[in-house]
Amino acid sequence: MIRISANTQAALADQKLQRNLRQTLSKTLHSRNEAVSDVPNWEELRQYARDVKTHTLSRLADYLLELEGKVSEQGGRVIWAETGQEAVQFVLDLAHEKRVAKIVKGKSMLSEEIHLNESLERAQIEAVETDLGEYIVQLATEAPSHIIAPALHKSRGEIADLFVAKLGMAPSQDAVEITKTARKLMREHFLTARIGITGVNFAVAETGTIVIVENEANVRLSVSVPEIHIALMGIEKVIPRTSDLAVFLKLLVRSATGQTMSSYVNFLNGPRRNGELDGPREFYLVLLDNGRSKILADDFLRQTLACIRCGACLNVCPVYQRIGGHAYGSTYQGPIGAILTPQLRSLEEAPEHAYASSLCGACYEVCPVKIEIPHILLRLREKVQGEKNQKAAHLPFEKLAMQVWAWVMCSPSRYARLGRWLRILQKNFEENGKLKLPFPPFNRWIKHRDLPALPARSFKELYSSSEKQP
Amino acid sequence: MLEKVRRACDQAEGVELPGQSPQFPQYTDPVAKFRQELERTGGVFFDARQPKELPAVLTSVMKQSDSTEIYWEDEQLFQRHGLPFTLRNPEAFAKGFLVYSFHFRQEMKLPILLNSKRYERSELARVSLSASSAGLGVAETGSVVHEVRSGAGRLLSVLPPAHVVFLSEKDLLMNHAELFRSLPLGQYGSALTLVTGPSRTADIEKTLVIGVHGPKQLFVILTS
Ligand code: SF4
Repeated sequence: MIRISANTQAALADQKLQRNLRQTLSKTLHSRNEAVSDVPNWEELRQYARDVKTHTLSRLADYLLELEGKVSEQGGRVIWAETGQEAVQFVLDLAHEKRVAKIVKGKSMLSEEIHLNESLERAQIEAVETDLGEYIVQLATEAPSHIIAPALHKSRGEIADLFVAKLGMAPSQDAVEITKTARKLMREHFLTARIGITGVNFAVAETGTIVIVENEANVRLSVSVPEIHIALMGIEKVIPRTSDLAVFLKLLVRSATGQTMSSYVNFLNGPRRNGELDGPREFYLVLLDNGRSKILADDFLRQTLACIRCGACLNVCPVYQRIGGHAYGSTYQGPIGAILTPQLRSLEEAPEHAYASSLCGACYEVCPVKIEIPHILLRLREKVQGEKNQKAAHLPFEKLAMQVWAWVMCSPSRYARLGRWLRILQKNFEENGKLKLPFPPFNRWIKHRDLPALPARSFKELYSSSEKQP
Repeated sequence: MLEKVRRACDQAEGVELPGQSPQFPQYTDPVAKFRQELERTGGVFFDARQPKELPAVLTSVMKQSDSTEIYWEDEQLFQRHGLPFTLRNPEAFAKGFLVYSFHFRQEMKLPILLNSKRYERSELARVSLSASSAGLGVAETGSVVHEVRSGAGRLLSVLPPAHVVFLSEKDLLMNHAELFRSLPLGQYGSALTLVTGPSRTADIEKTLVIGVHGPKQLFVILTS
């Protein structure tokens, strides 16, 4: 079971983390807002993209079939993987069959989701992450802390130290030097690896094209040099038409990094063809379910699958801004992680994710495909509570407390009297304007929250005393 | 698995696939917009719509990329952008970095490596500047489209530290709506890349660093 609450205190107390989060997130948010204010019909684009997604998800099976048909026509092979384990097994079997010792990887959240690297390592196959951020966290043997910027929690100094310690880089705090070191090292890997594994941002059903967005050119290299390319995608990534890409790319890139366009958008149609000088000779597209069809089956929760993984909701979330990505203890962090994790896995495994939000609504405002994250969070909370209630049919105390509360609230005089009593009572527990209540159920509630003491005079008293003055 | 997916969305209430694409911006001077956007990403723009500019432009590209030779993508590039006729003047390249001509049109006195047949990875990794022709360009974002076709490959435009792209003015589109209406996905080759500026990263404290795994320099030469 993942316990976010067990991680938050440490995250909040980590001064370095707090500084890194503050610095990088404010930069990202700023450029995102600039890039979006540049587009007068942003709302129209959002609605369009959402409609395309809603439509596609309602006919997902048909579009996946169409995609498979087109990919096969072009000499690629489609693998249907119902679980992460099946997808991993496919990669392992292929690597063994081809006697591959080294794999280069482009950034793929799906590969994190199915813990591919761990399995490859166990099978003694070297898997090199080629995206710089992803490589940094791999070197540090950590998990990514942000779906777009995996090493966002690390400062330049920490990264430099890591490169000096692990790669023997000459001491330098310069981001350019660090990047140079990575470029040189990675070249070797690119030229010797025999399988390239990447994620997928979109897959176009009508043409069988997979689309991968990137800035560094590590994906371009991963799909050009090795003789085999394996692309991993969740079944929700398919879109019907090429023409829809104009809108999706505009929304994705501006939301994710605040650029007008990423350096490279790769459109790949199967393996190399006759006469082409390079490119993979074999192309495999893995379609992964891993819990997605379960989400698809719920009319309201289905929209979770519209997500294009732009990361904007993380950047804008007051909870993510304070606790960072690792505290979520899951592949996907922030608001999207909060709704996706308990659905992909189960509410028993991730019972706290739905509560890791203040429900401020910023994630919905910023989401380029208008996913109603706050409402989904509430729905999930309902489910968690429903399960709890079923298990503990008793709860007589809570019921009684609510009945008393209702009775008090129904009469102004009862309410005022209760206030007066509480004001007298609280004197024993007050400390600097806050209440310290060291007994249940209050002690649990105030463990992570402040309970302010009631002010000396109620609003009603203040109001009537001011009325008396002329 | 497909059955499971089908059952899951069987009852789903879908909306129709939207027909009309939202508006994308139009520009009175698409070339100026293209240039502005390209330069914003760190790319370098050259206007060679007057063919007589080409020698000077190429000289400048080679100087800026500190290169003495160019690896050309294919012969078509010369015809398409009118190169053989304008570059016949050897003096244009007599400025110190005229090293050698490589089994292609000796009389051009242009340091050339042609990729077909001699496509060696080790050689590619050594090249400092490569050239290709863009199928399309987009003013909205300063992007060019690189297509892989028979006789060409994916690596030439990505391995060298500097890359120069020839774009003809008639192939410059306004915006991405136009682009994706006419993008020939999968029709000619197995890969197509939309390139916008040089390779970059912001993975270290969101600080922009140009040139990670791909070209550090991207030049675009606009021809007529
Ligand atoms: S939920 Fe929306 S904002 Fe968050 S990552 Fe997905 S698309 Fe982006």
